[in-house]
Amino acid sequence: MQPTAAQNMIFSNTETIPGMTITQSLGVVSGSTVRAKNVFKDIGAAFKNIAGGEIKAYTELLQESRNEALFRMLNDAAARGANAVVNVRFATSSVAGGAAELLAYGTAVVAQ
Amino acid sequence: MAGEEEPFVGLMIAAVVCSCTVVPWLLSLLATMISQPRKRKVLLQRETAAATTGDSLTTLSKPFGDREIREFRVMMANVVMSPSWVQMWIGGIMSLFGGQINVYTKVVDWARREAKQRLREQVAEAGFDEVVNIRIETTVMSRNKGGKDKTAGVEILVYGTAIKY
Repeated sequence: MQPTAAQNMIFSNTETIPGMTITQSLGVVSGSTVRAKNVFKDIGAAFKNIAGGEIKAYTELLQESRNEALFRMLNDAAARGANAVVNVRFATSSVAGGAAELLAYGTAVVAQ
Repeated sequence: MAGEEEPFVGLMIAAVVCSCTVVPWLLSLLATMISQPRKRKVLLQRETAAATTGDSLTTLSKPFGDREIREFRVMMANVVMSPSWVQMWIGGIMSLFGGQINVYTKVVDWARREAKQRLREQVAEAGFDEVVNIRIETTVMSRNKGGKDKTAGVEILVYGTAIKY
């Protein structure tokens, strides 16, 4: 599922990469995914909502989706010939009722 | 015969109506009063246990000092919390008057503490020393207005770069 190019990518949410120098910037890369809540998980979540507290099904759903957005971003960076992504940020917005967009973005760089 | 069955049928209907209306609210009240404070107490214990060695999370982009960083990795922790029905009901009434809405503050604060604590534990488990440049992201998972979906909640994401000296 995950191409090797993305697996070897170095990424950090700091501006620099410890122990490496950035030689070239290749622009902003991003990856996003829109996920809707699962109907079956939703039934459980609706019951959980009565009591309040953590809704584990959604926690996991969002975590999975965010990882996918991250991999898309890394693939984008790999396609540009970068070997690292710095200053990675995550953003989330809820689109329509029940659907959420997860975005990961950063600056693709060549680091040595 | 029919006359004997009638009160029974009436009782059945009353039971069904009750279980659809009163019982969820009772459960919600119980959860709000008992199970939620209990969970928060457990979280506080985890936090105090972790706090003995100082907080490993920092919003600074670089750690203090000039120590060499051997390894780093972006790590994140998230949690979706929802207020209970009772809390939403109280919150709805309180929002008519404005000011601080304590029931909601509690839930969001709880979620944020939980997410941070999860990151601390995750990082310690993976053998990292510190997390720099942490960011806290909040998303409201709104109710589907007009639809059948009545779930509401807030997602908190905490992420940062974990470093090892």
